[in-house]
Amino acid sequence: MEPHASSFVSKARTAFHSAAAKAERVLTDFKIDLDSDKQFHDDDFGMQRGDESARSENESKFRNELKHIKWRPPGIGTKQDWQDRINNIRKGRKEVEVTDKVGDVNVGSVPFYDENLYILNVKNDLDAKASEAIPTVEGLTAATKHPIPPSSVLKQLAIAIEAGRQTNSMKDFVASSPAREKAGLSISSVKALVLREKEDKLTSEFSSDEKVVYLINSLFDQEGEFLRRKINSDPEETSISSLPRDIHGAPPESLVVKLAEVIGNFKTLRGMSLFWSRVVDELRKHWSEEKHLLGVPPDDIPDLKSCLLYQQFQVINCCISRKRRHIIAIESLDSMVMEANSNTSDSANYMGRIPTSPLLYARLRTGELVLRLGADCPSGDLTLLETGEPAYSPVTQEGPLLTEDLIKETEEFVLRTGSVGAGCSQLLSDMQAFKAANPGCILEDFVRWYSPPDWMESEGSTEDRDSFYGGESMSSRGQLSLRMQKEGNLWRELWETSKSVPAVKQTPLYDEDLAVEGILDAFEDIQPSELYRQLFVSLLGLGFAIAETMLSGDIDTSKLFNDCKEYIVTTSQSDGFHEKVNELVQMYETVEKMLLNPDKALKMMKHMEESTMTTDEPKRRFSTGEPKHRFKRFSHIFGGKDKLLTPVRKDEVNDEEKQIRHSFSSFFDSKSSLFSKKPPKPGNLYPGEQPLSLERLDSYLDKVQFHPI
Amino acid sequence: MDSSSTQEFEYLFKLLMIGDSGVGKSSLLLCFTSDSFEDLSPTIGVDFKVKYLTMEGKKLKLAIWDTAGQERFRTLTSSYYRGAQGIIMAYDVTRRETFTNLSEIWAKEIDLYSTNPECIKMLVGNKVDKEGDRVVTKKEGVDFARECGCLFIECSAKTRVNVQQCFEELVLKILDTPSLLAEGSKGNKKNIFKDKPSQTNATSSCC
Repeated sequence: MEPHASSFVSKARTAFHSAAAKAERVLTDFKIDLDSDKQFHDDDFGMQRGDESARSENESKFRNELKHIKWRPPGIGTKQDWQDRINNIRKGRKEVEVTDKVGDVNVGSVPFYDENLYILNVKNDLDAKASEAIPTVEGLTAATKHPIPPSSVLKQLAIAIEAGRQTNSMKDFVASSPAREKAGLSISSVKALVLREKEDKLTSEFSSDEKVVYLINSLFDQEGEFLRRKINSDPEETSISSLPRDIHGAPPESLVVKLAEVIGNFKTLRGMSLFWSRVVDELRKHWSEEKHLLGVPPDDIPDLKSCLLYQQFQVINCCISRKRRHIIAIESLDSMVMEANSNTSDSANYMGRIPTSPLLYARLRTGELVLRLGADCPSGDLTLLETGEPAYSPVTQEGPLLTEDLIKETEEFVLRTGSVGAGCSQLLSDMQAFKAANPGCILEDFVRWYSPPDWMESEGSTEDRDSFYGGESMSSRGQLSLRMQKEGNLWRELWETSKSVPAVKQTPLYDEDLAVEGILDAFEDIQPSELYRQLFVSLLGLGFAIAETMLSGDIDTSKLFNDCKEYIVTTSQSDGFHEKVNELVQMYETVEKMLLNPDKALKMMKHMEESTMTTDEPKRRFSTGEPKHRFKRFSHIFGGKDKLLTPVRKDEVNDEEKQIRHSFSSFFDSKSSLFSKKPPKPGNLYPGEQPLSLERLDSYLDKVQFHPI
Repeated sequence: MDSSSTQEFEYLFKLLMIGDSGVGKSSLLLCFTSDSFEDLSPTIGVDFKVKYLTMEGKKLKLAIWDTAGQERFRTLTSSYYRGAQGIIMAYDVTRRETFTNLSEIWAKEIDLYSTNPECIKMLVGNKVDKEGDRVVTKKEGVDFARECGCLFIECSAKTRVNVQQCFEELVLKILDTPSLLAEGSKGNKKNIFKDKPSQTNATSSCC
């Protein structure tokens, strides 16, 4: 065994030196993972200092850890590191990683044998992930028996938010994988090529996987039964509807919320990302087939109080509706013109023929009949000034569908350029439509329809107003307002520029195809953190909306519930959202407990409020179980971390942060001590009952907490 | 006159002017930014002006959006409600319909499109120089403002009476509101543009 160990150490050092950044991470992992390897351990420390006591060794290792931590970006790196540990613990990946690393290190020494072994390990790893990563429709349907989605789903989204912050685009997220990272460490480019081919194959396999296809079909099913939960919205409808909007989520039962629940049930980040790509493909298909998305209103303008994702879904549906209407309108106009032309060709019958519906004609002063195009309905009792014909409101183009991001862009554009083009374009379009519907009209007619306050009726007699061909001057019947008569008035210039063109034949003011293609491209390229944040908030909103109706009857639980609710509204609206994600998960878990086991939850909360940590310990361990407890511990540490960082940020505090901190301070002062609970002290560690490695990890994290960076 | 160069500022606030067509919104804005009066052509869509001033020791930049009051422009103007810290609801004291429409139309538009629950609203009765034609009393304005929870002032763009006070009172109220002050802070990421060159007076060039 001795020669093997020596080779092992040698290869490890080679890896460290070859890539500084990766070596940093690998070194950390090696020290933790291989600590139990006595041979390696002794050799490593023996070469530095010789034998030392166990305590001294721990101290030394801890100091090394601190050195590495300092090299990372202070906030993000450290948090990322912890997040990775959470991931490893939750998924039991430690064992897998050890295997992979061993294979990796040995590649050089016995090329033929180890290369095969390495590829086999990678293949097994990917296959295992692929099979376990995909949730089933049956599993998800069964989960709807729970009153609200399980908190594990929300946790998965929280993990994805944090992991996704390092990536700018979902495409990059899908492309990256642990296997590819390992490929980067390998010597041979052939292996990298093999792995890349493996990746591509896996991606296509994912899309055609039976379970994925079934999930997609269920999610977009036109019946809409999938993931439906009972929401007793009758009693407090107003109250229910406000929460998802207050936190900028999505309406309950909407496609966004269902999507959040499905994606949150995937076990791997990669699976989540691949499923999103599959969803985008399905959205493209719906658009090309002009099928509305279920769970989104078919024809509403974007709701700016919902999340951007929901707004974009609304735009897709609205554009589908508009395209349908446009096609119908074009066909209608074309058939009208065709009929009019066939009438005209019968010259013998022309003069004697009375205009028939639905064709609408206007008679000019010359007596000539002209077909009205794009006329909608009579405009009150308005008549055209020169011809006496009834004035018709024209069919006009519909306005743009602006989501919050496009509104912001538009506003910035106008501010930067001073352009008033949008208003002029619309006004010109309306003028052209009005001319097409009202042959023989003049600007004054348009103004009387479009801007009534700018027309001043004269006080002439009724007889004058109604006269035809009277030859009287127009001024005796009224005139434009003074401001409209001004020299250089843009309205008159536009009027003289405009042609007679019905709305459906005009250049579109808003191009539906362009708009939806833009949205779908944005979906493909979305920042992962941004996507998962919206899904997280939407699912959070659903859970609280349902819980609100179920808990409203009980005084004790509803008070606690309202505290949680108020906290999440405040947090969601603040700029520090990313730092608070784990606390939001805790709020959700609290509500989940209130629903599943209200008495025990209340008891627990009261104990927490009394700050009797020791009394609480055995009960918490018993009722919450290890994994959940583990997650809570980390959340506390994050909270403590934030407090430790406060002094450093004092110099950078601006008015906004002062205001926010003041708001939070008031919040905590007036609310229960639940939210101000401090992280556990070293004395509260749980000795003996934890696995050895977990205990060491806890010890490490606690030490980090008390050593500010 | 406004300086055409970019000036330093600490806070940027977005103000929006709404109300029926012809009540004098554009004239009020011109009076405030240029201290002049003109019977302006009807606004087409939206227009804006920028005003720099110092209040309570703070250097401010105001982006003031002027909207067309015609119904057909409502879809276009609705997107400019987003994020406004202050909204001026204007009516003409000589035309009762413009006052009635504030509660029937414009207050509903604010509910629909404003994304800022704490934005400051100000009710403004214009054209008080035409006292002989007045049909909406000051008391009616006061009562409506109290009911709506907004500030109130009467003014005249033509005679410049109370126009400066109108905008300054609105801005003072914004400065007194911590959340709005934070939004306007230059350090805020949501600030829609910082130190970018922009025209203080919009050109009327277009398609």
